[in-house]
Amino acid sequence: MGNEMKFFYIPILTILLCALMSGCMKWEVASEEEFDFSPRGLYILNEGNFQYGNASLSFYEPVTMEVTADVFSRANGMKLGDVAQSMTIEGATGWIAVNNSHVVFRIDLTTGRETGRIENLPSPREVCIISPAKAYVSQLWDNRIIIINPSTMAVTGEIEIPGMSATSGSTEQMIFSNGYVYCNCWSYQTDLLKIDAATDAVISRLNVGVQPQSIALDGNGRLWVLTDGGYAGNPIGNETPALVEVDPVTMTIIRRMEMGPSDTPRQLTLGPDGTTLYWINRDIYRMAVDDTTLPSTPFIPGRGTIYYGLTVDPVDGDVYVADAIDYQQPGMIYRYDARGVEIDRFRAGITPGAFAWKGATR
Amino acid sequence: MRRLLTALIVIAIAASGWAQMSRSLSLDEVTVTARRPLKDIGVVKTTIDSAALRENIALSMADVLAFNSSIYVKSYGRGTESTVSFRGTSAGHTKVTWNGMSVNSPMLGMTDFSTIPSFLVDDAAVYHGSAGINTTGGGLGGLVALSTSPSVDTPPGLEAQYIQGAGSFKSFDEAARISWNSGRWQLSTRLVAASSANDFSYTNYDKKQNIYDETGNIIGSYHPRERNRNGAYRDLHVMQQAYYSAPGGNRLGIAAWWMSANRELPLLSTDYGNPSAVENRRREETLRAVASWDRVRSGLKTGVKAGVTHSWMAYDYARERVPGLMTPMTTSRSRLVTIFALADGEYSPTRNLYLTASVSLHQHLVNSRDRNVTTESGNTVTLGYKEARAEVGAAISAKWQINSVVAVSGVLREQAMGNNASPLIPALFVDALLPRPLNLTLKGSVSRNYRFPSLNDLYFMPGGNPDLRSESGFTYDLGAAWTRAGRRWALTAEAGWFDSYINDWIMWLPTPKGYFTPMNVKDVRAYGIELTANLIAKPFNDWTVDINGSCSWTPSINRGEKLTEADASQGHQLPYVPRRAAAVTGRLAHGRWGFIYKWNFYSRRYTMTTADLSTSGSLPPYFMSNIAIDYTLPCRRVDFQFKVAVNNLFNEKYMTVLSRPMPGINWEATVGIRFKSTNNE
Repeated sequence: MGNEMKFFYIPILTILLCALMSGCMKWEVASEEEFDFSPRGLYILNEGNFQYGNASLSFYEPVTMEVTADVFSRANGMKLGDVAQSMTIEGATGWIAVNNSHVVFRIDLTTGRETGRIENLPSPREVCIISPAKAYVSQLWDNRIIIINPSTMAVTGEIEIPGMSATSGSTEQMIFSNGYVYCNCWSYQTDLLKIDAATDAVISRLNVGVQPQSIALDGNGRLWVLTDGGYAGNPIGNETPALVEVDPVTMTIIRRMEMGPSDTPRQLTLGPDGTTLYWINRDIYRMAVDDTTLPSTPFIPGRGTIYYGLTVDPVDGDVYVADAIDYQQPGMIYRYDARGVEIDRFRAGITPGAFAWKGATR
Repeated sequence: MRRLLTALIVIAIAASGWAQMSRSLSLDEVTVTARRPLKDIGVVKTTIDSAALRENIALSMADVLAFNSSIYVKSYGRGTESTVSFRGTSAGHTKVTWNGMSVNSPMLGMTDFSTIPSFLVDDAAVYHGSAGINTTGGGLGGLVALSTSPSVDTPPGLEAQYIQGAGSFKSFDEAARISWNSGRWQLSTRLVAASSANDFSYTNYDKKQNIYDETGNIIGSYHPRERNRNGAYRDLHVMQQAYYSAPGGNRLGIAAWWMSANRELPLLSTDYGNPSAVENRRREETLRAVASWDRVRSGLKTGVKAGVTHSWMAYDYARERVPGLMTPMTTSRSRLVTIFALADGEYSPTRNLYLTASVSLHQHLVNSRDRNVTTESGNTVTLGYKEARAEVGAAISAKWQINSVVAVSGVLREQAMGNNASPLIPALFVDALLPRPLNLTLKGSVSRNYRFPSLNDLYFMPGGNPDLRSESGFTYDLGAAWTRAGRRWALTAEAGWFDSYINDWIMWLPTPKGYFTPMNVKDVRAYGIELTANLIAKPFNDWTVDINGSCSWTPSINRGEKLTEADASQGHQLPYVPRRAAAVTGRLAHGRWGFIYKWNFYSRRYTMTTADLSTSGSLPPYFMSNIAIDYTLPCRRVDFQFKVAVNNLFNEKYMTVLSRPMPGINWEATVGIRFKSTNNE
């Protein structure tokens, strides 16, 4: 064999080495874990990034201050999906609307295990439980609210919103009270809807301002609506954001408190007794429902970031604020007591945006 | 199965080698000459072999670059968007030219390489880091230069080629080329057509299929076997070239390339929608044309180019409302026109001095309509923007061979966009040729670079940020190239170290209003080592071995200020930038037979800025192996070629982007016919 022969075998050995290395490759598959969560705690829904399919669910126990990450995928051995929008809790069961996966999962709150699902929903945003046999699912880019049976997880009907375009329609948060469902229409919309939950008919709609972002029902039975005001160039308008108090019986505006033109309010929520409103506007603000003016100073000053989520413990009034940071890393949750003093901070998943309390109702 | 296949490959190659050992070793002599072109002083450049470009008609430039360079190809799936990035930068930092004209989307800043068939490219070169400054600005990672050219070595006459292929997933490819050469005139027409149902099956580990009892309780679950849904595509490309060599060293040329793509966008692996109830489709029709005039006379080369790009793009996303009635959610339409002009000159007053100057213009006109919104009054309003932007670039350079060892090159470039001009962009290149026995060329360079925001960055509705700053960077390179040759072999190897600093990196982040907006948020340091090697040998009569290898180690680290006190991304690798990448392509030719083995590797790619190792936080490393065997049957005026290619030989499960499954083992067979009629016959 001549010395030149090495130039034949060097390539062969290189190719052999490459082929052998290929045998080392292994795909990583999630396995299932057993969980037994405490009766009371906070579920944190991490939205993930659009088109990445990396939404996740975390669980936090306020007493032990322990956090469990990736609850859904670890309990079920599969991913939660793409853009987890909201979580609704009723008793020992949770419903998670995963917007761009077009699915609603039902889970056992103690184990995190899936107990059912509804697939092929247009663009689910939130589940509102009306009875053991009826729930509404709001939609983005649709002018319908889908009616489901939350026990059998079957679609049973739909409510078409009168006067709303299917192309740019939107229904968002829903509150069930005294036989009616109140729903804000956020994306490229202006209205608050009142739906008769017995007949599934929209019986009233109220223009509350450009893009009502979130709603809350206070302890006095008054509805509060937070509008974000749109943006420059928005086809439906760009106006000053506002906090609007609405009489849900007559569907009339009681008062409208306008914020600053550059304000970006979001995530309206209530304290334990239903008499204090909280929202994000760079900082965290709070206001008694009987106050006549908007607060001029924040309850919790911001940290130079865009807070993405907010909730108040319905039992002890602790305030939880989600910082999505750069939206590509596990977000940070800050926990404050009712006086605004930080008492804990912990990591959740990517873009923590929605919360749901287990074992505690206001 | 995997080991068995490996063993079969090795046995086949080794057996063919042993079979030859008993034969007579009367071999051709291989003469290797090396001359350092002044044009490429200190430049780190990977030239893509023409054999790689012509290897398979089904290949896009994304496939070719993945296996023939160490740059990272991020693919959203077969027949869908594929972008390339190198040296730890993003896809928008890779500048791409076709016959000198920028083909980066002025709206997005990046280039989809899956829409560029390698059959339509005659020359492809990758200029790493600073090397791209000689040609264009804005390539913070580097430049991929693609071009068409007349066949200088083709004898006068008519030549025709037709190739047809069929493969897995109902894939069909056709390519044809007819060219005529009269000596002064060269005409060439090329056509590429590709279609595929692209419905490969895979086990979906992101989902589980439940098993229910009679009362609706879940009693079991499993990962379903699913098909790639909504992934069909149909592409058509036609290219016309004409060249005329006039007396006096003048050459006129025109190349026009029209493409039409109609591609479904596959659903995510986490999508629970009914695939038949979805319309998720991208369409594009683009015409690119460049006319050129070049003149070469006594050390002076001058050239003028003029070109135009007209592109119409549509994206439709709709879901079925009731059977038979789709509700559109996104109806996006964009029309782009780019007018291009370039004048350049190269002058060599002495053998050791080479001067160049160039000035270019890209005038972009964009009309982007992204979404229709119907107001409560019933009016339909379209969101979008209509903008025009002129990009002007000018550069001068001097390249000087100081003595037989040392050469230097200096470049000064200026870029302007609209009313904004970048500071002067300098670049300095040095190399030193250490003669035998070392046969070593040492290289070094330092350069500055700027990249202007794309039109979407500035004007997208909603979210465009007109206050964005340009991204800017410094790059340092140091390397060595080594060449050695024997009677029957030639070996080249190159190793280089680079260090890049990029400031004001643009990222799109959500706003409190619910839409995204771009911001200058990160300062990044990307550094690392690049290695390439090539061996060509003729160990026996009628045997040729050609093996190319490249690998890179490219940490790309966020070193910017913390966005908030909780920001943990500092010091971590950027998302979707592999630290290590490698590629090997080996070709073995014997008589009429040819065998190709292609292999590449990407290390773990993080999907988060904190290098998280959770299931969704990173994608596992993968190795990919493809093989092909071909046979050429020559007849008097007609050659027939038969080829069978097997991709993903070891049936690996892999993704390059989260929730975007890639196909397992698949094959394609092609039959080609080539006709030649030369004038002297």
